[in-house]
Amino acid sequence: MTVWPDQLAPTEAEFDTVDMTINIGPQHPATHGVFRMVLTVDGELVVDCEPYIGYLHRGLEKLTETADYRQAMGWWDRTDYLAGMCCEFAYCDTVERLAGFEVPDRAQYIRVIMAELSRINSHFMFLGAFGADVGSFGTSFIYGWRERERIYDLFEEVAGDRMFPTYIKVGGVTMDLPENFESRCRWLIASIKQGIEDLDGLLTGNEIFVERCRGLSPMSTEEAIGLGITGPVLRATGIPWDLRKAEPYGIYSQLNFDIPTGRNGDVFDRYFVRLSEMYQSVRIIEQCLAEMPKSGLVLNPDLPKTLRITDAEVYVRHEGTKGEYGVFGMAKGGTNAYRMKLRSPSFCNLSALRRMVVGSYVADAVIILGSLDIVLGEVDK
Amino acid sequence: MSKAASLPYVVTPQIPNARLADALGAVAAQFGATLGQTKSDVNLDVPADRLRDLVRTLKERSAFQFDYLRNMAGVDFGEEGMAIKYQLYSFRHGHTLQITVPLPPHNHPHASVPSLVEFYGAADWHEREAAEMFGIHFEGHPNLKNLLLEEDLHIHPLLKAHPLQKAEIKQGIEDGPAGFNF
Repeated sequence: MTVWPDQLAPTEAEFDTVDMTINIGPQHPATHGVFRMVLTVDGELVVDCEPYIGYLHRGLEKLTETADYRQAMGWWDRTDYLAGMCCEFAYCDTVERLAGFEVPDRAQYIRVIMAELSRINSHFMFLGAFGADVGSFGTSFIYGWRERERIYDLFEEVAGDRMFPTYIKVGGVTMDLPENFESRCRWLIASIKQGIEDLDGLLTGNEIFVERCRGLSPMSTEEAIGLGITGPVLRATGIPWDLRKAEPYGIYSQLNFDIPTGRNGDVFDRYFVRLSEMYQSVRIIEQCLAEMPKSGLVLNPDLPKTLRITDAEVYVRHEGTKGEYGVFGMAKGGTNAYRMKLRSPSFCNLSALRRMVVGSYVADAVIILGSLDIVLGEVDK
Repeated sequence: MSKAASLPYVVTPQIPNARLADALGAVAAQFGATLGQTKSDVNLDVPADRLRDLVRTLKERSAFQFDYLRNMAGVDFGEEGMAIKYQLYSFRHGHTLQITVPLPPHNHPHASVPSLVEFYGAADWHEREAAEMFGIHFEGHPNLKNLLLEEDLHIHPLLKAHPLQKAEIKQGIEDGPAGFNF
């Protein structure tokens, strides 16, 4: 280091920094969709963060009011498009509870299998993309993609579509499973387990990855609850709160599974909770395959052709892949919903971004955003 | 991995709504609220001017401890007015409550509600969304600008009177904000 003579030595004032504004997004690979955040930085340190959303706003709630209950369903799996079946499940559950329809037993099991496959699918996407955020480049992405592709192939076989299957239907599911479903699903589960282990080894076994994530943006349970954070991000703070256990819906109360939790609520815990959750989803699917009635109705035969629901309101909450996926539904006669409000977990988790990012470094801000695992289709509705 | 044992939170299945309704009876009388029931939760109808006091009581009293604002939904009834539905949840007791605040129709000078940001950080974006979608004013909200819509677009799409089609955005007009041209 150059030692300057006294008269040339740098003064205190020369080290003063000026706050600078950096715009990230809306088209930036690190924002996982069309999300924009404006960071104010002092050197490398983030002093302020202003998130901008709405680039993917499609007016879901307004559209839902204009179509009848069954037509509107197609828009709902486009909210959390990484786990379309979970969204369909929640929407159909809302309509069924408004109208008071029962769902046949076999359909209940099929729904849970599909929802859990979607959850695994979404978490594979997270592991892949998050690994890429932290710096594993494309490797984790490709590992995640391998299993996702197989799950999507199974969805295609069952429902005819991969991302937006519109398979779950008010009163049950659209059609029965194909003949070879059980054996294929069992083969898929073995493949999924291998996939999780591979990613676990690639990421958790990587010291650079662990050191980047551990201790970053820790959060207490109280704070997370106050900010409305749910899902894996909340469970990472140490509270085993999962709506599949806390307020069971469908047949979840009959199934055995654990709720993985973290300790510090930091980025590593959020990652690890999701990873551990995938094994539990596999457990759930295995139980469903074993216990499912081998034949029977998959759609309530009492459903009228046109659904008319008299005055009722309900708030249905499901454990989506990102947290509490709540639907507030209101019927006032007629064939269309009077009001359907989506409480999307990504939206609420993202609203806490400013609190998490301020005080961290710019490079870490991207990782913190990645650890929230947002889906913009769900944020913007 | 789990440290559930050391936590003050009890994650239990929901307490039967009937018991919650009993406990809420006295609170409802105190704040001029009426008890009801939706298909999923106990409902409490409360006038807008008593909302803040009610929520403070519900959050702080140990029998309730509603520490989590799970959802907030505006509803428009056209000429009959509007309403806001809040869903609160208590992590310590595991029960859910819906609060309904009836409001006058859109454009009425009293179509405003006190903001709940001081109680729940989660209320921030929920209120911004309801403000732009329904034109409801939230008194005391620190930053009530558009969230999902274009920043200078002053329309309220979720009002029943707002048309779905035949609408076209006119932007860059000198003499006013961007709006709809029918």
